[in-house]
Amino acid sequence: MKSIKAVNLTKAYGKLLAVDHISFEVEKGEIFGFLGPNGAGKTTTTRMLTGISKPTEGTAEIMGYDIQEQSVEAKELMGIVPDISNVYTDLSAWGNLIFTARLYDVPKVEREKRAKELLQLFGLFDRRKESVQGFSRGMKRRLCIAMALMNKSSILFLDEPTSGLDVQSVLTIRNLVRKLNEDGLTIFLTTHNMEEANQMCDRVAIINNGKIAAIDTPEKLKKTIKKLQFIEVSFVGAANNVTAELEKLQGVTEVAKHGDKYRLNTENPPKVLSAIWEYASANNLEMHTVNTLGPSLEDVFVKLTGIMPEMKRKGSKRGKKIGL
Amino acid sequence: MLFVVGIKRILKDIRVAWAIGEKDIRIYYAKPASLMFGILFPFSMFLSFVIGRNIPIDQAIPVLVAQSIFFASSSIGPVTIPLEKRIRTFDRFLSAPVSLSTVLLGKTIAGFIYGIGVSIIPIIVGVIFFQSIVTDFIALAVGLGLSALGFAAMGIMFASIPGQGPGQVMMPLNFVRIPLLFISGVFIPVQDLPVWGQILSMFSPLTHSIELVRGGLGGQNFFGPLFNVAVLTFYLGLFLFVGIRFHIINQKKE
Repeated sequence: MKSIKAVNLTKAYGKLLAVDHISFEVEKGEIFGFLGPNGAGKTTTTRMLTGISKPTEGTAEIMGYDIQEQSVEAKELMGIVPDISNVYTDLSAWGNLIFTARLYDVPKVEREKRAKELLQLFGLFDRRKESVQGFSRGMKRRLCIAMALMNKSSILFLDEPTSGLDVQSVLTIRNLVRKLNEDGLTIFLTTHNMEEANQMCDRVAIINNGKIAAIDTPEKLKKTIKKLQFIEVSFVGAANNVTAELEKLQGVTEVAKHGDKYRLNTENPPKVLSAIWEYASANNLEMHTVNTLGPSLEDVFVKLTGIMPEMKRKGSKRGKKIGL
Repeated sequence: MLFVVGIKRILKDIRVAWAIGEKDIRIYYAKPASLMFGILFPFSMFLSFVIGRNIPIDQAIPVLVAQSIFFASSSIGPVTIPLEKRIRTFDRFLSAPVSLSTVLLGKTIAGFIYGIGVSIIPIIVGVIFFQSIVTDFIALAVGLGLSALGFAAMGIMFASIPGQGPGQVMMPLNFVRIPLLFISGVFIPVQDLPVWGQILSMFSPLTHSIELVRGGLGGQNFFGPLFNVAVLTFYLGLFLFVGIRFHIINQKKE
């Protein structure tokens, strides 16, 4: 049985088709990434899968239960962490967890035991009696995830779980999510963060303009654009015209400046490496670092969605326009 | 077997509705919007009505009780629902394994208890300090109970109006609540209204709240308690039905 099965899922707001007949399946125990630019239909899809929003067309099943026809059974099996931490700031962490359990009609003894376990797991036990008002963003996020687990869900929907958090909170949450997945929980992870998806997901779906552009493992997706290979080089005290000079090297298709580094796109890295070496020697430039890079999940995303990240846009002002 | 499953389901829904109501009591009763629209507003209107006029206390207390229950009960839904929608805690209910009717029942419970709690204060004050006497406890209890439920449901119905905060719901709600005061025998007893005014007041649920409370506290009842109960029950059903339908329609648009 699939954990999630979406068939021809569609959502229209008037004439606007926010989600356009998408179909996909999520296996049990999988971390499934759902990537896409803003307005692509990620949150709308999640809201339909979780029963918050009604599809205009198509069906969604959670562990074999139709979310519209058998909504109570389906909702009992899922936990939801939306893109904002929708916790009750007037209640304590304990109060939030107990209220969530009562919404799922978890018996008193069980809910108190579960709340204690989760507060300990999420490092909030010592502050369980405090009002959530005074919690940091990371603590609220952790509490929000803990609330989604109060009903011992089999599937956890996470919408941008680490967005806007400090590095420590991000790492803590990623580790917790990994641990939960190791314990058998299926995770449906909606994110903008390519690196997060790359590191955490078994498979990813890329959605653009309401349609699924690709579904596969991160590595297989990267292989689809094998031609995207880069050499990243930085020089000590480089002159202003280096970008233009590097563009002239044979085998280089484009150059983008990324901070103090130059990223050269090529289909033949060994040949370009030699050319860079010769160029540096001829111009008396000392190389600080040299790296060869394969295509990233971000590159796949850019290729499939046509969305150009801000950094690349800035970089391309000095180099050639990136045409993927 | 099916009967047992049905009973279990109903009991579960009641437990969940109570959990929602109890949470609202803890979070929203002391919020400025609840205090202002639910307590300050009716008390201010009452004071503006009695100050400078020589109104006997036996006439004033029922007016204050009915006005309090009317404003207090109908204010909780319009405070909690838009606020919860704004901070997206309302999504928690939509993604939980409960029906929207159960969620709205929980909200109605919160409005009901608020209305009863606020309106019982003037009764206690009247009995202790002004020699008010409860002459018909059943009429008073039924009047308070039905009014609190009905007006809480009325608040839930208005809370289906899409908006980003309680203010956007309170405005149309007050557009209805304040004119009702003038046709419900609050400022002028029903028997003193012209015939067309008496006919008009018959359609106002507030008229029947005041009538039952007045009857319970030894005052005159123009329409009769049975008719009052029938009209209030009708409005309770109507507000619940329309409120739930509107919220379901709104959810479909999500």
